[in-house]
Amino acid sequence: MSLKDIIKKSAFVEILQGMSVTGKYFVGDKVTVEYPKEKIVPYPRFRGMHALLTDPATGVLNCCGCHLCETICPSQCIYIDTSEVDNHKSIDRFDIDLSRCIFCGFCEEVCPCAAIVMTKVYELATYDKSEFYLTKETLVANQVNAHKETVRR
Amino acid sequence: MSASDRDTAHPMQDHVHMRKPKPRPTPEELRARKEATRQRVSGSVETITVSMGPQHPSMHGVFQAVLDLDGEVIVNTDARIGNLHRGVEKLAEYRTYHQFIPVTDRLDYISSFAMNHGYCEAVEKLMGVHVPRRARYIRTIAHELCRLSNHILWLGVHIMDFGAQTFFLICFRDREYILDLFEMLCGARLTHSYARIGGVAKDLPEGWEHKCREVVDFLPKRLDEYQRLITQNRIFLKRSVGIGIFTVEDLHTWRVTGPCLRAAGVPRDLRKDEPYAAYDEVEFEVAVEYNSDVYDRFLVRMKEMYESCNIIRQCLDNLPDGEFLAEDAAHVLPLKKNVMRDAAAMVQDFVHVFRGPQVPKGEVYRAVEAPKGEFGVYISSDGGPKPQRLHLATPSFFHGQAVPALFEGEMLADSVGIFGSADIVLGDSDR
Ligand code: SF4
Ligand code: SF4
Repeated sequence: MSLKDIIKKSAFVEILQGMSVTGKYFVGDKVTVEYPKEKIVPYPRFRGMHALLTDPATGVLNCCGCHLCETICPSQCIYIDTSEVDNHKSIDRFDIDLSRCIFCGFCEEVCPCAAIVMTKVYELATYDKSEFYLTKETLVANQVNAHKETVRR
Repeated sequence: MSASDRDTAHPMQDHVHMRKPKPRPTPEELRARKEATRQRVSGSVETITVSMGPQHPSMHGVFQAVLDLDGEVIVNTDARIGNLHRGVEKLAEYRTYHQFIPVTDRLDYISSFAMNHGYCEAVEKLMGVHVPRRARYIRTIAHELCRLSNHILWLGVHIMDFGAQTFFLICFRDREYILDLFEMLCGARLTHSYARIGGVAKDLPEGWEHKCREVVDFLPKRLDEYQRLITQNRIFLKRSVGIGIFTVEDLHTWRVTGPCLRAAGVPRDLRKDEPYAAYDEVEFEVAVEYNSDVYDRFLVRMKEMYESCNIIRQCLDNLPDGEFLAEDAAHVLPLKKNVMRDAAAMVQDFVHVFRGPQVPKGEVYRAVEAPKGEFGVYISSDGGPKPQRLHLATPSFFHGQAVPALFEGEMLADSVGIFGSADIVLGDSDR
């Protein structure tokens, strides 16, 4: 063992090297967010809990009852019932079972009426599993959380 | 053989810092070295059986290894996988080609875009879809980002297996930048579902290129920092150099691919050998090391990360304009903005959702270089909208089956490091 090695081994060069990196970050900027107090704002394309959009002028649901989202959904968690009311489709039931949803965004992608959209809601933990079952009313109420970009489109 | 014996026995000990070129062992030397480092066990001694996993923290998922030990030396390993089996191949038979894309996310959930991409490449080969140039570039960028995030996560977990807790958090901090890029790009941080048959789901958002460039500019600096912390760290060297040696024949026998194969001096990389996406239009080097031990696998992955940054930079420089999704009415789901304006696209949308794409009869196999190794997709089609049979050849499965051979004759304490160096994700292996 050469003298250099002995010095290296006894002076713990690696530890000093490691501590220099640690020290640099000790004084640097913080990268973490104190989560429940501070919230992260997701990016405009974030795929969170769904919403059903209504026409802002009339308040009528954008959805035309075409069942496309129900069919494309890979986990089959959208349930739609429609009926014909004076040559117009009325949506009797529009439920999403969030506990089965995988947030792929396909429903939003195929919808031809810009009715179903994904929002920026990401805090979905609940104490009760039944709250994962979203009905039409919840989905319509959630449209306030939709990304501005999607609403404008 | 004690630890100090091993130090002197190993020719790399003096110049691991890559200041001098390392000696390249011939296949015979590698074989001899493997024999020398694996400790022989006397057959007469009674063995004890220890079960490691499926809940063991260093088993990287629900992998169970039942080890027969002679003292501290592993004599026999029974690798038990299947705890995460979800029947993905069967699921494919009940989904249209399009609907299966999110399921591929859940294979290797650390690098889900690579899985999406491999699957879509295979389907495109089956249907003969021509992917636009811009889409191929975007795919290349996303694939390399995926490789970066996979390797950074792997590095953190691997080093944590050796006892460095803080390093894990450092790696997670840097992986976050890449996850942010993915969130901007496709809306999800882990299960991207970003590739589509014929292109990608969405175009690059505004400001993304700039942000991506920033990340690939500072990541190499962070990688240098990792190198300072680890590459010459005495504890890491002691626990990785000359451990878990696997000869080239062994690697081929067990079909080990990816960084583990390249660490044995085989320059096999599908990005170069069978280029897909835009890999034939960028310049990069295949990272190769020669000693095929835990340490060299680490070096290969380190080098790959630098190369990935390099590839992304080139792609951003040459990013062409144009479509990001093929215009192919028979096979590609139309874009939402077209559906809302154009009656033909609307009809196409309905036909695709209710009936599925038009698929020719036939069989295809397509493999891509996923971060963990070669990811192959085999599709047998009977002309219907759903695959008749889909088979996935995922790298982790093959790496997992090599585990008994890798462990044999090694010390129990090294098994964690060796297992980590194989880079296994159980979602990928069990499917
Ligand atoms: S996000 Fe995907 S899984 Fe969830 S409801 Fe929409 S289509 Fe179904
Ligand atoms: S795809 Fe859109 S319009 Fe059609 S049923 Fe679903 S939400 Fe309604």
